[in-house]
Amino acid sequence: MRLTDLPNNEWHAIERLDGPEEDCRRLLDLGLTPGEEVAIVQIVPLGDPLVVSIRGTRLALRRREASWICVQ
Amino acid sequence: MRAVATPKQPESKTLTVCLVGMPNAGKTTLMNVLTGSSLHTANYPGVTVTLSEGKSKASFGEPLNIIDLPGVNSPFSPSQEEELSCQVLTGKHDLVKPHAFILVVDASQIERHLKFASFAARQGKPIVIALTMMDLLERVGQTLDPQKLSQALGLPIIPIDPRTGDGAAELIKVLHKTINQPTKSNVLENLSDEPIEAYNVIRKILNEHKVITSTNPQLARQQDNLTSHIDSFVLHKFFGFPIFFIILSLLFASIFWVAQPFMDGIDNGFKWASENLVQLLGDSILIKFLAEGIIQGVGAVAVFFPQIVILFFLMTLLEDSGYLARGAALVDRPLSFLGLHGRSFVPMLSGFACAIPAVMATRAIPSKRERLLTIGILPLMSCSARLPVYALLLAALFPAESAWKAGIVLTAIYFASLLISSLIAGLVSRLAYRRRSLSLLAMELPAYRIPQWKPIAYLTWSRSGSYLKKAGGPIIIISAILWLLANFGFGSQQTNPTNIANSANSTISAVSANKPLIVKSELDNSFAAQIGKTMEPLLLPMGVDWRVGVGLISAFAAREVFVSTMAIVFHVPGEDEEAQQEGLLKQMRSATMPNSTSHVFTPASIIGLIIYFFFSLQCLSTVAVVRRETNSWSIALVQLFFYTVLGYLLAVSVVQGLRATGIA
Repeated sequence: MRLTDLPNNEWHAIERLDGPEEDCRRLLDLGLTPGEEVAIVQIVPLGDPLVVSIRGTRLALRRREASWICVQ
Repeated sequence: MRAVATPKQPESKTLTVCLVGMPNAGKTTLMNVLTGSSLHTANYPGVTVTLSEGKSKASFGEPLNIIDLPGVNSPFSPSQEEELSCQVLTGKHDLVKPHAFILVVDASQIERHLKFASFAARQGKPIVIALTMMDLLERVGQTLDPQKLSQALGLPIIPIDPRTGDGAAELIKVLHKTINQPTKSNVLENLSDEPIEAYNVIRKILNEHKVITSTNPQLARQQDNLTSHIDSFVLHKFFGFPIFFIILSLLFASIFWVAQPFMDGIDNGFKWASENLVQLLGDSILIKFLAEGIIQGVGAVAVFFPQIVILFFLMTLLEDSGYLARGAALVDRPLSFLGLHGRSFVPMLSGFACAIPAVMATRAIPSKRERLLTIGILPLMSCSARLPVYALLLAALFPAESAWKAGIVLTAIYFASLLISSLIAGLVSRLAYRRRSLSLLAMELPAYRIPQWKPIAYLTWSRSGSYLKKAGGPIIIISAILWLLANFGFGSQQTNPTNIANSANSTISAVSANKPLIVKSELDNSFAAQIGKTMEPLLLPMGVDWRVGVGLISAFAAREVFVSTMAIVFHVPGEDEEAQQEGLLKQMRSATMPNSTSHVFTPASIIGLIIYFFFSLQCLSTVAVVRRETNSWSIALVQLFFYTVLGYLLAVSVVQGLRATGIA
């Protein structure tokens, strides 16, 4: 299941990241690592980007980037 | 023309330390607490990034030289700013070679920040951790024990309270100790480079040593409720954009209206100085050069200083409070559609005040392609130097009783600049980068905080000062050259009387008997006029004569110089400003084309000039800054020619088109 398929504020643990290698590496560095709980907490007015909560911080991720996050 | 501060390698054994950390860790605030008034910005040769540097306060013990490095999100495929910090950290930078690092770690984001800290710790230099944002922990229902953390990591950790400055003296003391007797080994340096494992180890250490305790079990997953609440308004489906536009309108309103009295004051001050210098010391050529060339050139720069200060102050305020990142998130979608990036937002916003700080602000854009594209459209943002030009031209276009029409047109010009730059960005990104690989947004939205005034004041001041340095030099030099061109001419040159037949008080300068090659001339006979007259075949299709051409050339120093040049070429005696503006408008309305009775300033030619100024890159300082920031003459020159030629061609087509439809 992908994070972008879930409704807002539904928390799931990350399973893996499935996207371009270099970009995923940066996302991992930012704390989006497998096992960690993540949720979309808000959607910015035009529908993109999404605000994703991870490790106590909020990241603005484009829909495309958030769709790389596979959750359990 | 760069003011190069020689990099300070320790004279008399002053040790150098660098502040590093992730963005929003509170580095700037800490820098301010540590160094106080000794802070200054230093340009290091070979790097475009300006670093702030200062000595730690004497009250904290033996002073240290402290350099603040730009924040790093990830050392992996870094932006230009991040790359510099990484170079210094890994010891690859030629000039900045610190003895130790202060790692700034946000206590409310401890895992992510320790992950970055491990990168720094691996480099083998002495390290002290400064723990910030302890007050934010309360909001997320946690407490953190710095002593336990220090034991767990094997590193000295000093909590800092930026409001009171508590911890700063301790930090400096511990730094000296650590440099003299480096800690043997620490946990962070053995952490894997691989993020998944590194994060797992960090969590394990934090749990084993019971570093963090939850004070409010209700607050799950460290959610910061205050930030969530504010975001639910600020990024609200319906309110998000209205709030955004209100904030932007307030920003622009202050830039233009709050700055106005200061600008008038500065303008009058320089005029006064220039006039008094001539009165006091006589009007020899040298004094006139000083008064009109140099002092007024400095004035042309200084007059925009209030706007720049207000712009930087408000931007820093928005940045510090956390809103700027939200603004960037709001516009990321439309901007990325155009091939730009959410982070292009801040440069574009600054571009409405001045393209120079705007170009410098593009360094935070991670991908090179998006950065170049942003730089590419910045000259179209309607900068404040265009405002006096538009004001004059619109006043000439509309009679005083329908001034409201000028207001509407001016607003339309601002929107058009946004629209057309979007169009150009969209076209270029689709044509030139057809198979573009998309960049990453992944931008942190920091917790909302009450801004800290002292660091904001300092940042405002240093950013404004850096603008003055970068923009000031070229403008002053160019205005000095232009003054010389406007005041000297070939001695043997005879004026063609018909060319100046219509200028009101034309006086042909007495050419001295022995006819030296270059003599002091009236404007009509000067090099500038020569250039203008040579250009006339190009100017006639735009519906204007050589005098306007002189104005267009002089506007390359700074666009607003066009207005004062118009006053000179149309011989308006310069006394008080209102009379001058009135007189100028009158002269402009009655001016006629050479060898003809048709007017120079007709609705068609004025509209043509507005279009020309709208597009044309009439600002050599921008060219200089673009060249420095992109490290490429060809980008800077292509941009200069593209916009200037585009402006010219569009102006000519519109003027000719209007004339064809019967509008003179």
